[in-house]
Amino acid sequence: MTLITVDAVSKAFWIPTVRRDTIREHLFGMLQPRRFHRLQALDSVSFEVRDGETLGIMGRNGSGKSTLLKILCGIYPPDRGRVERRAAVTPILDLGVGWNPELDAVDNVFLIGSVMGLSLGEIRRSMDAILGFAELQEFANLKLAHYSSGMSSRLAYAVAFHAVRDVLVLDEIFAVGDAGFRQRCEERYRDLHAQGHTVLLVSHDPRTVTSFCDRALLLDHGRIVMEGPAREIADRYVSTLTKRISD
Amino acid sequence: MTVGAETMSAVDRSRPPILRAGLIWTLVRTDFKARYHGTLGGFVWALLKPMSMFVVLMGVFSFLFASNPTYKLNLIVGLFLWDFFAEGTKSGLTSLHARGYLLTKARVPPWILVVTSISNAVITLAVFSLVIMIFLISAGHPPTGQALAVIVIGFSLGSSVLFLRFRDLNQVWDVVVQAGFFVAPIIYPLGILPERFHFYLYIWPPTPVIEFSRAALVAGVMPTTTGHVYLAADAACCLAAGMLIYRRLSPRAAEHL
Ligand SMILES: Nc1ncnc2c1ncn2[C@@H]1O[C@H](COP(=O)(O)OP(=O)(O)O)[C@@H](O)[C@H]1O
Ligand SMILES: [Mg+2]
Repeated sequence: MTLITVDAVSKAFWIPTVRRDTIREHLFGMLQPRRFHRLQALDSVSFEVRDGETLGIMGRNGSGKSTLLKILCGIYPPDRGRVERRAAVTPILDLGVGWNPELDAVDNVFLIGSVMGLSLGEIRRSMDAILGFAELQEFANLKLAHYSSGMSSRLAYAVAFHAVRDVLVLDEIFAVGDAGFRQRCEERYRDLHAQGHTVLLVSHDPRTVTSFCDRALLLDHGRIVMEGPAREIADRYVSTLTKRISD
Repeated sequence: MTVGAETMSAVDRSRPPILRAGLIWTLVRTDFKARYHGTLGGFVWALLKPMSMFVVLMGVFSFLFASNPTYKLNLIVGLFLWDFFAEGTKSGLTSLHARGYLLTKARVPPWILVVTSISNAVITLAVFSLVIMIFLISAGHPPTGQALAVIVIGFSLGSSVLFLRFRDLNQVWDVVVQAGFFVAPIIYPLGILPERFHFYLYIWPPTPVIEFSRAALVAGVMPTTTGHVYLAADAACCLAAGMLIYRRLSPRAAEHL
């Protein structure tokens, strides 16, 4: 069964020659009109995600991987095309950043957890497990303002891994924390996969994609240039990278 | 070619209401906690702000308006309503920016983040209303608090998405609020100004709300039906304008964080 259909999705960003973020800059800049150029982040991307599969998305920096995931999760609207979701999607994106620094870990977990679709009861019941997973039990009542960046991203992954409903969407995961934490993430990930959860995973690490994915896509300048078994895509990705360097 | 269409299954389209209620409760609770450091003392402090303002202004201006027996009551009603307006619009304006980290993590309707950011101001106003009701036996009460809340929500919806594009909008609004304090007849009775200016003062949304509350609470006079219609139209216009801007700009809010 197809869980997610991405049908001819395009997305462009208009990048101005000068950034103007304030009313003051707009007022003073009225006499010097700025130009915009169009950055086609995604160009008519189509693919399907089937029930139970693990799909990898590879591509160089700026090739549109994160934008694709955000559209797929409904965080960005597409300019053109359609995304059809037939299952609940749990995104794990941009997790390093963004907490309320004035709140402690427990309250932040309540916030992020309820945004990710957990009920208050579920959050209360999994609180110990979440803090345990992140190894932050002793710091449960410490304000996030006093956390190191490693600690807060560990907490983010811990919440997200407990919030998974049907489809798990991961952007550049396994890049945070120490070796022990990464290992726990990988184990949890394998558990979820074994339970039959569908996974979408963005990475530019060929090892991650070959060891965690069945199938993969290669994205370049917002287009899918290749689709196939994870190993082939990873090899192709590595060879395009090395070709670039030797050029 | 379908343009920007999205279809979702039943699972995704309608979050169970219980989940949404949980999210709203968490947003309100954590906002309260972060603001007052989780203590009741912090909240009492928030009530003290308009109170101390009242004491100072009363000390200075009740001499000026000594002949006006209801000046003090009018002042305190005006100050608390104004405090709600000023605090509510300020936190609404920055709400999406301040809670943007939630918008980029998952699919959340941005309006939930905007509307819940006003909860603190609502709580302060509610406590004040309880207190004032004990002291003032009123001849009924026109729905002024509700009208002001609608105005604040309308303003917040529109300004919160604009703030993501114009990052000094909060500074501009601070100036407007400061000047607006004197446009609304809070420290002076509306009557001291010539009649022909009243219309202009009534355009500033807090003015009719404050005048209405005073009429009912202090003077014990219920405003006319025309007055009620004006109040409702005033609130509806603010809400409609805010919703229009919000509908246009909120779908791409996450891209501007
Ligand atoms: N919110 C945004 N506003 C403007 N440009 C953006 C935004 N998000 C992404 N882009 C641009 O779109 C392109 C693709 O970005 P992204 O999807 O993050 O690539 P990747 O994740 O593959 O590195 C980049 O050139 C990036 O600068
Ligand atoms: Mg990326």
